[in-house]
Amino acid sequence: MGLLDVLPWRREKKVAAAKDDDLFDDEFQRKLDYLALVSRRVFAGRLRAERRTKKSGSGVEFADHRDYQPGDDFRTLDWNVYQRFDRLLVRLYEEEEDLAIYFIVDASRSMGFGDGSKLRYAKKVAAALAYVGLANLDRVSIVTTTDHVSGRMPETRGKARIFKAFRFLRAVQADGTTDLGDAMKTFVAQNKRRGLAVLISDLYDPSGFEKGINVLRYNKFDPFVVHVVDPTEGKPKLNGDVLVYDCETGDEREVTVTQKVLTRFGEAYEKYLAEVERYCATHQVPYVRAGIEVPFDEMILRVFRRGGFLR
Amino acid sequence: MIFAGLPIAELVAIFAAVGFGVLVLYILKLRRRVVSVPFSPLWERILRDKEATSLFSKLKRLLSLLLQLALLALLVLALGDPRAAESLIKGRNVVVLLDASASMQATDGSPTRLDAAKDEVKRIIRGLGGADRMLVAQMDAMVTPLGPMTGDTSALERELDGVRATDARADFPRALRFATDVLRGVDRGEIVVVSDGALGDASDASGAVHLGEASLSYVKVGKSSRNVGVTQFSVRRYPLDKSRYEGMLELSNTGTEAEDVELQLLGDGALVDLTKLRLQPGERLPRFYPQLSGASRTLEAKIALVDGGHDSLPADDHAYALLPERRRAKVLVVSGGNTYLEAALLLDEYLDVTDVPPRSYPDAIARGDWDAVIFDGVTPAERPKANALYLDPRGPGSPVKVTDELKQPGFDKLDRKHPTVRFLALDDVNVSLGHKLVPESGDKVIGASDGGASPLLVAGTRGGYKFVAMGFDVRDSDLPLRTAWPLFVVDCVNWFTDEDAQYLSSFRTGEVWRVPVAAGVAQASLRLPDGTTQPVPVHEGRAVMLGERTGFYELTAGEQTIDFAANLLDPSESAIAPRDALVVDGKNAGEISGFHVGVRREIWIYLLLAAALLTAIEWATYHRRVTV
Repeated sequence: MGLLDVLPWRREKKVAAAKDDDLFDDEFQRKLDYLALVSRRVFAGRLRAERRTKKSGSGVEFADHRDYQPGDDFRTLDWNVYQRFDRLLVRLYEEEEDLAIYFIVDASRSMGFGDGSKLRYAKKVAAALAYVGLANLDRVSIVTTTDHVSGRMPETRGKARIFKAFRFLRAVQADGTTDLGDAMKTFVAQNKRRGLAVLISDLYDPSGFEKGINVLRYNKFDPFVVHVVDPTEGKPKLNGDVLVYDCETGDEREVTVTQKVLTRFGEAYEKYLAEVERYCATHQVPYVRAGIEVPFDEMILRVFRRGGFLR
Repeated sequence: MIFAGLPIAELVAIFAAVGFGVLVLYILKLRRRVVSVPFSPLWERILRDKEATSLFSKLKRLLSLLLQLALLALLVLALGDPRAAESLIKGRNVVVLLDASASMQATDGSPTRLDAAKDEVKRIIRGLGGADRMLVAQMDAMVTPLGPMTGDTSALERELDGVRATDARADFPRALRFATDVLRGVDRGEIVVVSDGALGDASDASGAVHLGEASLSYVKVGKSSRNVGVTQFSVRRYPLDKSRYEGMLELSNTGTEAEDVELQLLGDGALVDLTKLRLQPGERLPRFYPQLSGASRTLEAKIALVDGGHDSLPADDHAYALLPERRRAKVLVVSGGNTYLEAALLLDEYLDVTDVPPRSYPDAIARGDWDAVIFDGVTPAERPKANALYLDPRGPGSPVKVTDELKQPGFDKLDRKHPTVRFLALDDVNVSLGHKLVPESGDKVIGASDGGASPLLVAGTRGGYKFVAMGFDVRDSDLPLRTAWPLFVVDCVNWFTDEDAQYLSSFRTGEVWRVPVAAGVAQASLRLPDGTTQPVPVHEGRAVMLGERTGFYELTAGEQTIDFAANLLDPSESAIAPRDALVVDGKNAGEISGFHVGVRREIWIYLLLAAALLTAIEWATYHRRVTV
């Protein structure tokens, strides 16, 4: 320890670094194994590893029947059913392919606001989901974004590659402003292979959180939103005359904070969260609100139950 | 309204300068605390709503500014020390005479008249102007100033707390003379009498009191006149039968309604007599109790209304008396035989008489402690160490010089006030032969012949012992055939033993009491009816004190203990109906004027209090975000 380390701010930096080092410790990894196991039990009866696309017909495994539509391939007609029920039904097969899962971690300054707990939480969630993906033999890639794609871990597969993911995530620092729209445009341009795009962000985007999600949707990605929420941000400990400034944009605003103002801010905050949730529900985007006060393993299970991640 | 502090021009200048400063400070931008937030658009949302009410916000800021300016105005006004214009008029010098006589104990005030009077005085004190000065004096049998002449109202009010009503009448002339003395040579002197008006005439032995330049005001207190009181009470033992006594008392109804009263006479606390009486308005009813007997020493008369109610003045519902103590007196008679003398001494059963012939006198005088020695035609060579009555003294042992022989002397001149001859008819006593006595300095000639030129009866003291010398042999006169003879002998013995027939069964309050005490005592101690003890000075053989309380007293002087009683017994104090007017020096006392409560109130204190209140409001509204 250097002489200057006795200074409080130096100590804080050390503490923050130590926290990042411990992010993916043994305990964490044990929990990942447990989660991978649980993911299988939750979806018991499914075959191992392979994920199934929404596409049907070209695979070998029967999936379902549907009514015959003019133009359907006659070869897929189920004549046995026709004979028995006098209905023309088409046999559907699941098409198997190894799915690409992209974890898009928001690494803007707002994610590092305060003691950086939101970013740490996002990293843990990303690492856990990546492990489950890798364990299911999916192609997993992690990107970090601000107003651009600031970091990228190339696609990889196999459980052993999780340490690469850990290394990548450990190096992620919160910096820069948020512009999910621009960042996602870059992302879709860089990743031609479509797949599941898990967006892990606080969605504090001055230009609108919808933009980024829409870019993914419009480019045939399957967006999955993990909304990282720090509940204390809805109840700031402020009082009196203050000059609030945005930690990302630096925008300033004079506010005289009273109990009434705090109540209204809380209401605005809740309204914002509700807007995000309503948007996702409306656009059939799987959405999970990840409050950082919830243990991350419980959060992962919540993701599993929500569906859309494991198929 | 005037400003006793800074002048108005300066106040305006200060207000303008500081007000400008307040204004400048007010329009200065508030330095705010810088706080980082993760997402400012959320704040933008609520601030957009807030801006919709910005006009109201501006008004609130204006209100806050006005509050500050009001605060400043109050402080600047306080600097000016504003006062009521009346407070700066030329100061008056006021002497308040507060009646604390017995009638002020009447319970028609709050709760007594004296309390009501105190309230009136307090009202006057609070109405004093800034330059006024006041002296409050308690007026009862004495005049007691409660403090110096001062303008300190709190000190004046404090002084009042110690005033207690006495059981004495007020000496109004003395109080007026005191007040005029205080105000002599002083401008704007004013005398205020706070009383029920039962003060008597404003004149005394020196004549009527003249007020001079001072004006007189009268503040009346009291309203009730209902009172029945004991206005006379006296007891005495019969001179010739001291085992019996008689009592006399007088009841007065000074109210305007007839009253039924129950009169109790208590002897040593036990009921002796109980009578129900009806007294008409203004009636004074005497009652005699003859031929009372018993061992009672203290007597107490007590009255109560039959209907169970109370009259307005309880102080005169009790009266106290003390019978003279009876004790046996040892009398030595040195005589060759005198039947008349022996017969006279038989009258008083409390006398232990020892007869001895002249030759046995030395043994007898050496044997006992005699209260009185009677020498009948015998004069010892050496004067006895006892009080002595000399009948026809001769020789060098006589206390007075015996000179010329007097043929057929008589009592041409008598000192009828002397205890030995009081009430005795000695003028026409016939004496065949006597001798002229020559008194020494300090001796008293009680009876003398030849138009007063030849003393026949002389009294005085020798060596601290009393003596009476009579210059003839009673057997040479017709005195033994008269009623006066045994009375004279008994009176002499009583005088020797201090059993005075003129014994006072009680003193009157409000008078200076002079109680004889044993010779050589310089200081006495007096136990008052309430049990407290106070030292009493002794002057010329008498303990001197001013009596102000009714009840039984005990005076201790050396080894001697003297009991006595004191009563109000004053019909003028019992007549408690308050008087509407007070006449002094031929003029009616005016009503009090010029005392306005609050005139000397210091407004700056209230201004500062208002400023503090405004600050509190500003503080509360600021922190509650009402004015920001």
